[in-house]
Amino acid sequence: MAGKKLRARLTGAASAGMALALVGSFSLVGCSGESAGPPTLTWYTNPDNGGQKTLAEKCAAESGGAFRISTQVLPNDATAQREQLVRRLAAGDSSVDLMSLDPPFVAEFANAGYLLPVTDPADVAGLTAGVLAGPLKTAFWNDQLVATPFWANTQLLWFRRSIAQAAGVDPSATTFTWNQMIDVAEAQKKKIAVQGNRYEGLMVWINALVASGGGQIVENASAGAKATPSVASPAGDAAAGVVGRLARSPAAPSDMSTATEEEARSLFQSSDGAFMVNWPYVYQAAKSSVAKGALDQAMVDDIGWARYPRVDEGQASAPPLGGINLAIGAFSKQPEAALAAVKCITSVPSNAEYMVEAGNPAARAAAYDDPAVREAFPMADLIRQSINDAGPRPVTPYYGDVSSSVQRTWHPAQNVTAPQTPERTDTYMAEVLSGERLL
Amino acid sequence: MTTIEKPPPAAVSPPPPPRGEPPKAHASDRLRHERRLGLRLSAPAFIVMILVTAYPLGYALVLSLFKYRLTDPSGREFVGLANYATVLTDPIWWSAVVTTAIITVASVAIELVLGFCFAWVMYRIVRGRSLVRTAILVPYGIITVVSAFVWRYAFQLDSGFVNQWLGLGTFNWFGDRWSSLFVITLSEIWKTTPFISLLLLAGLVQVPGELLEAAKVDGATAWQRLWKVVVPNMKAAIMVAVLFRTLDAWRIFDNPFIMTAGANDTETLSFLAYRQNVTLVNLGAGSAVSVLLFLTVVVIAFIFIKVFKTDLSQVRGDR
Amino acid sequence: MGVDGRKTSNWWTVWGLLILVWAGFPLVWMASLAFKSPETFRDGVPTFLPKEWTWQNFRTVFSDELFTSALRNSAGIAVIATVLSVIVAMFAAYAIARLDFRGKKLLLSMALAIAMFPQAALVGPLFNMWRGLGIYDTWIGLIIPYLTFALPLSIWTMSAFFRQIPWEMEQAAQVDGATAWQAFRKVIVPLAAPGVFTTAILTFFFCWNEFLLAASLTSTDRARTVPAALSFFTGASQFQSPVTAVMAASIVVTIPVVVLVLLFQRRIVAGLTSGAVKG
Repeated sequence: MAGKKLRARLTGAASAGMALALVGSFSLVGCSGESAGPPTLTWYTNPDNGGQKTLAEKCAAESGGAFRISTQVLPNDATAQREQLVRRLAAGDSSVDLMSLDPPFVAEFANAGYLLPVTDPADVAGLTAGVLAGPLKTAFWNDQLVATPFWANTQLLWFRRSIAQAAGVDPSATTFTWNQMIDVAEAQKKKIAVQGNRYEGLMVWINALVASGGGQIVENASAGAKATPSVASPAGDAAAGVVGRLARSPAAPSDMSTATEEEARSLFQSSDGAFMVNWPYVYQAAKSSVAKGALDQAMVDDIGWARYPRVDEGQASAPPLGGINLAIGAFSKQPEAALAAVKCITSVPSNAEYMVEAGNPAARAAAYDDPAVREAFPMADLIRQSINDAGPRPVTPYYGDVSSSVQRTWHPAQNVTAPQTPERTDTYMAEVLSGERLL
Repeated sequence: MTTIEKPPPAAVSPPPPPRGEPPKAHASDRLRHERRLGLRLSAPAFIVMILVTAYPLGYALVLSLFKYRLTDPSGREFVGLANYATVLTDPIWWSAVVTTAIITVASVAIELVLGFCFAWVMYRIVRGRSLVRTAILVPYGIITVVSAFVWRYAFQLDSGFVNQWLGLGTFNWFGDRWSSLFVITLSEIWKTTPFISLLLLAGLVQVPGELLEAAKVDGATAWQRLWKVVVPNMKAAIMVAVLFRTLDAWRIFDNPFIMTAGANDTETLSFLAYRQNVTLVNLGAGSAVSVLLFLTVVVIAFIFIKVFKTDLSQVRGDR
Repeated sequence: MGVDGRKTSNWWTVWGLLILVWAGFPLVWMASLAFKSPETFRDGVPTFLPKEWTWQNFRTVFSDELFTSALRNSAGIAVIATVLSVIVAMFAAYAIARLDFRGKKLLLSMALAIAMFPQAALVGPLFNMWRGLGIYDTWIGLIIPYLTFALPLSIWTMSAFFRQIPWEMEQAAQVDGATAWQAFRKVIVPLAAPGVFTTAILTFFFCWNEFLLAASLTSTDRARTVPAALSFFTGASQFQSPVTAVMAASIVVTIPVVVLVLLFQRRIVAGLTSGAVKG
């Protein structure tokens, strides 16, 4: 029957169409896969204006054809970077040969078996020789080197020389404290720029305050879910005192509860700016703004720097520690090539080169003696010292839970009080770690 | 007069009797064939729908009974309904429920009024009709993430113009729950009012013109005509539009994700499910959140269909 | 129409203008920000319009692999998912509009359920299934859910269009000596094409817009689509927020939407109003 035939054709067409289209899209997937050639390592980098890409090309060239490196850029924000990597690694993805890993997440990744440890003692010694003390603390898990420090970061206190002068204080005096700073800013009717948004940067700030007071966020951190929260302590209370006082002070930025690094920088450069705690990139960024005509040279000349302020006058501060460690993916099919790449990328010359080009400080002490580094960073010695003395964030496989518990209980900063906030943090964190609460 | 450019809705014509066949003799044969063909043609649709939703949902049901975090595989253990107890006793879950409900109620209520006005304008406008219809489709078609960024940057202190225009100085819109929710809802309304207004327009053109004329002749005011003639005659369209928009708003994710990342109690249910499953890779409790989220949708749909007696016959094809 | 009528008509035009402003204003703001200099847009008191206009942001986004690959992925995934979804829905819609079979009610109820389904409830299990199947972070891994969630709208819209096709013409053509295939191709296809096309546009909008699944089921520029890429956009350094570049990218991805809307406004309106509800 004609009608029947038509309908038969229709069903035929239905299956054929589906099949064709599916085949089509499968083959498209095939096309987007890797290409043939000499072994290519994939390196997941954090965004840095292409500095890591340049290093990748340099090291591939130096390898004499042993490997090539293609880079994949991760998102901006540390939490999102972790999220992307965890999902790839949980999927057992062998394309993750190298990854730029934020130090606080090293423990979680290592504990889950996502990182390939460096086992040869000679390699371990070579990769850690001359690495500053701060970043070195983040490189190991279970006494194995799992993530080689590549570059390190720390925050400095940035101040406007003119305002410090007007107030008659010297922020670079070793005993300069948060409370003194708030007093000055209030008296001068200026602002103190910090990172108060609910994100990893808030945790960086709080951790630095607690550590500067001699405390720590969790005790026995490596016990993971069984670690003991310890924010409710004299150090935690002092930190809450600083955060709460600043947030409720006229010296607080009006966008404090949403401010990240860039909002802080823009406030600091405005006519309201007096003080700021921030990473060294701000200095390069200000200079490049001048080059592009967006900022006056006078403004840059007015920028002073000092070590991270103290919480307690009698105790040296523990500046924040940031940076990136370089880890090898556990499912990589080219671990030897990956190790060779790590050696090249984290070498002293690479460190120095990267510091000048990308503006991110080196993990190895010797790099700071490089003349090019000293020229680009007049405060190179201060950065080196700060990184060496920095207090890392808790090293625990449950770092995400720890950090989120702190962020949730300390945001918005206006509501932070001592001793209530630290107590709330401890209770909440304990419940979260034991799975009784959501995050 | 219909204002929608399409042939007037014709009654569904029954499939014409195939030519050259005696209508009676092979009727049952024909019917069986038709059934088979119908099933075969709709089989692909059935299969993908089940594969992509029903199966994963069942999987989520299983996962939700375990304590299971992807990055801690050795810690996986069966915990029964404990995850549900954790979720349902947690203020974060209830805060997300409240936040989602606020956004849903506010956006649907405002959109209904605004959408009705838009539909009315589109219905009556003569000059510039197609221009208005084109313009209204732009928010409909625009990427929600883009809309979220546009509104966020408009209100954000360092980049936005809103505070200058309204003389608000340094008021931080994203520094507090209610002002954040206001901006989130505003973006949601901007983006989705066109959809609801087009659905309402479809209902509006179905209102018999004679009824309106008759009411006018009888001396009814415009207000009376609206409430006594127009609204009752498009009740079905309104209810369906509200149902669809409510469930759509209930799933809101993009706007809070881009604007506040959930800070200041602006986390919605979808966001919570995303964060538990994707960010924290906490698949056990995350799956419990997923299942509960699904149940809330079932409850809302049930309320609309049974309590408000929303007529879905057109959607279901009963007609 | 008398003077009075014209006056009212003018009023409606004024209201129409307001709608125009309402719809267009955010676009103007988007464009304004996209043309501001990334160096100065936040300096001092932000103004609505740029003090000086620059193309720099567009150069930035087009030289950014993250964005160009996302554009490719978005276009490819949206087109393939649209084609597949329309094919699958076409057969289902044909069956619904023309045939009487058991399972028809079930099919439509299921479409209704899918239309209401909270996608967020699937991100966990889908991620876990996809990583098992090895299609995590691939085109196909997004195409499958997209085509599924686009199905209800496609099925409704197309079955509404198909119901209005005078199918008798097929028989008439066959009486005139055409074969069944010819009758189908020459008579039915031209009649059905507008409905199919309209459905395709609406489905494309859906796939182009989708964010939640794109953010959950991709992680590199291998499959990451534009909405996900926008949310992960990075500035010059780790800490710099690329506000103006995001807006430039937004302009780029809004252009296809505006073009489609300008070209097919009538069809889209007809499609949106014919499918789900007829009042």
